[in-house]
Amino acid sequence: MDENEEEFLIKLISIFKVEAIEHISAITSGLIELEKADAKMQMEHIETIYREAHSLKGAARSVNLKEIESICQAMESVFAALKRKEIITSPQLFDMLHQAVNFIGKLISKDDEITALEKSQIIENIRHFEDILKNAAVTPHQSSVREKPEEETKPEIPEIRHSAIHEGTVRIPTVKLDSLLLQAEELLSLKLAASQHATELRKINAVFALWKQELAKVHAEIQKGQGSLETKDVRFNHILEILDPNNASIKSLESKLTALAKSAEIDHKSLGGMVDNLLDDMKTVLMLPFSSLLGVFPKLVRDLSRDQGKDVDLVIQGEEIEIDRRILEEMKDPLIHLVRNCIDHGIEKPEVRNLKKKSPRGTVKLAITAKDSNKIEILVSDDGAGCDASELKSVAVKRGIISQKEVSKLNEKEVLSLVFVSGVSTSPIITDVSGRGLGLAIVHEKVEKLNGMVSFETKIDTGSTFRIVVPLTLATFRGLLVHVNEQMFAIPVINVERVVRVKTEEIRTVEGRDTISLDGQVVSMIRLGNVLEPGEGEKNKTDENIQVVVLRSGEKRMAFVVDEVVHEQEILVKSLGRQLSRVRNIMGATILGNGRIAPILNVNDLMRSAVKVTYAPAQAPEEVLKDKPKRRSILEVDDSITARTLLKNILESAGYDVKTAVDGVDAFSTLQTQEFDLIVSDLDMPRMNGFDLTSKIRNDRKLSELPVVLVTGLESREDKERGIEVGANAYIVKSSFDHSNLLEVIQRLI
Amino acid sequence: MSDRIETAVESGYTPQIPEKERILKARAVALAKQPEDTKVDDEYIEVVEFKLSYENYGIESGYVREVYPLKELTHVPCTPPFVFGIINVRGQILSVIDLRKFFELPETGLNDMNRAIIVHNSRIEFGILADVVLEVHSIPLREIQPPLPALTGTRAEYLRGVTKERLAVLDIEKILSDKKIIVHEEI
Repeated sequence: MDENEEEFLIKLISIFKVEAIEHISAITSGLIELEKADAKMQMEHIETIYREAHSLKGAARSVNLKEIESICQAMESVFAALKRKEIITSPQLFDMLHQAVNFIGKLISKDDEITALEKSQIIENIRHFEDILKNAAVTPHQSSVREKPEEETKPEIPEIRHSAIHEGTVRIPTVKLDSLLLQAEELLSLKLAASQHATELRKINAVFALWKQELAKVHAEIQKGQGSLETKDVRFNHILEILDPNNASIKSLESKLTALAKSAEIDHKSLGGMVDNLLDDMKTVLMLPFSSLLGVFPKLVRDLSRDQGKDVDLVIQGEEIEIDRRILEEMKDPLIHLVRNCIDHGIEKPEVRNLKKKSPRGTVKLAITAKDSNKIEILVSDDGAGCDASELKSVAVKRGIISQKEVSKLNEKEVLSLVFVSGVSTSPIITDVSGRGLGLAIVHEKVEKLNGMVSFETKIDTGSTFRIVVPLTLATFRGLLVHVNEQMFAIPVINVERVVRVKTEEIRTVEGRDTISLDGQVVSMIRLGNVLEPGEGEKNKTDENIQVVVLRSGEKRMAFVVDEVVHEQEILVKSLGRQLSRVRNIMGATILGNGRIAPILNVNDLMRSAVKVTYAPAQAPEEVLKDKPKRRSILEVDDSITARTLLKNILESAGYDVKTAVDGVDAFSTLQTQEFDLIVSDLDMPRMNGFDLTSKIRNDRKLSELPVVLVTGLESREDKERGIEVGANAYIVKSSFDHSNLLEVIQRLI
Repeated sequence: MSDRIETAVESGYTPQIPEKERILKARAVALAKQPEDTKVDDEYIEVVEFKLSYENYGIESGYVREVYPLKELTHVPCTPPFVFGIINVRGQILSVIDLRKFFELPETGLNDMNRAIIVHNSRIEFGILADVVLEVHSIPLREIQPPLPALTGTRAEYLRGVTKERLAVLDIEKILSDKKIIVHEEI
């Protein structure tokens, strides 16, 4: 019995979570609208938020979540007061309300206990609201004192929780829908098989007709032969006795076969049509508009820009466009990251913008457009500072990602695509959240995984634009089937630029690489077979023409030689199973109409492999040479002995030689006598603090290049800016539990 | 025995008290005795026996999902040699692993007796190449001797033991949970 109850409660809470998230997002967007709205519209928004807060409160009470209930109660009271015009809105009030919503969000996402600190913050928050209301209560223009707002207002509130039902919608768990889609997609292989069978029957029919003709010829010959003989040969009679009834059965067989071939054809057509329709409908069921994802963005932009002291407007276009839910989910993090990137690195502070004669308010734009029938383009752009290509080059060279010689050969587009390489960041300082140059690399990887493309354009002082193209649906897409090394492979059509035949004499060798010329552009060319199986010797084909498929991935294009291009068809991507979790150059496999499997090629991988094959033909691309770790020395500066000892232990166990100093003065004098590879310093210290120490180091001729990591207990924007100003390399918020962050940063710096 | 009791009871036989005690004691001793032989024999494992390069191997049947004929096998480029290929099992794609590469066994040609023994645990599922699948039978646990000390490396690691009949019983749980067996290669 107890168990049942517990189970029920768990179920109840999971239901509550779903509901609460909806209320929270409604409250959040309501708050943002309210802040923007004019006086006339304000009342409407206040009413909405008030109701949402009330419903959330009721729901929280039913599952006995007291904290949420009391926050909602406080918010509800504030909105009740707003409704009665006892108080007016102010930026501070909005900040507090947003904070309150954040708390509720945290409380919901956290399954178990909340920390004491959070609890005290929540109580603080509620008290703030109460203060505001108290002040309002004593203001003279409102005589009636608010006592029990909840009871007063309750009767006016209609139940809005089940509004979804009135619109004729049903709530179904997505897992069920996904499984339905998977089953529908499986039907695709049935359709392909039906087509294969129909074709084969048709072929058999043709062979049969041919054979019948031959037989008829023989028959006629024998008849003729017998007629010409003077004495009837018994043996001829015998043959004819067999052949004559045979003719009849051949005829009946032929008509049966023809009928069968025809009905197979009809079956294939109707099955194909039905499967296509079903799949299309299933896909639309799983399509969601972008708006369902972008709901959190206005708040994100608001919070982030406020944090950084910037004014940013977010403009969203095309949010009504629908896309496969699975793609939408995968796109959430990349889009958040790009928007964050625009605010972090793109949009300048109001005073800087004023100097540049731009409007002090920056704009981040998210524009979604449908391209072709099965592609979606997402543009994330800002009107900020833009990105300096030459700086990008120097960072990439400095990080050892590309050599000086290679970088000089890159064209503008290729230089800009360096932003997607892991480890490239033009941010002046590393912090917990940014500057490590990982974010855009992750964006790139995610988009690639979806078979999409991402590119970057920028103009100094005008702004930057990220362009993402992703397919509309995930699992099925058009694939080009090609024959290589006596095996069938599928290439996603989204990556295929064109299919051409090239004459052997048109191939030119440039720097040891085969190239062909396409529309006046030189494109390097490689045998696909060699990329896939580097050991295989080149087949000496004496053909005059070779079959080439030009593939594109991001800004790169490359020509691949294949044995034969078979045809294009719809394919369903299947994973290779857990054991083959990720295979070089292969992204999955598809089942063809005849039941055979064709591996699907990963074009992004192919491009990378191709470069390796041409540079080092005999070697398998496996081992990357790693530098042997030399012991590096670190000077650690902290006035607290506990902190010093703790950190010293951690750094030493990570393989560094560590010396310590108790404050800036001590540290600086140690630096005069001994050489270090890096310095980790606390901020607040007696005699000389971390900032002063950093600027002293930067101004010292001998030490100016020494990497400095500032560590602090509490994050603050002013401190971070100050850190940049004095020339620190990193600004890390220390946590007593997790030091991986700090170690990672140190590793990057030395 | 029961006949004798019956006749005794019918004839009105009642044993004296010391006699009773003696009989009861003897019974108690007999019942308390550990039936050594049968107890150990109770622990059997059921294995699917198959041939691989003229040697006999066994896989515990609890891990076997099914045995699938190896008709159409698709080679996957850029995978290590122990990945034999992928097969289509009623719409599901499964990889097939060639244990000969781990056990340094000679290669034999493929014929229509070849099978993929599909093994699984809660985390992973794949096929194991077999030249021929022979039968399913029970082996007493005590008959499985530890692998020969001469065996080293992966071979010893993947073996649970060998029976008197020279059947090598695979430690399938170990194979399934071995990280080495998972292919995960970025570029």
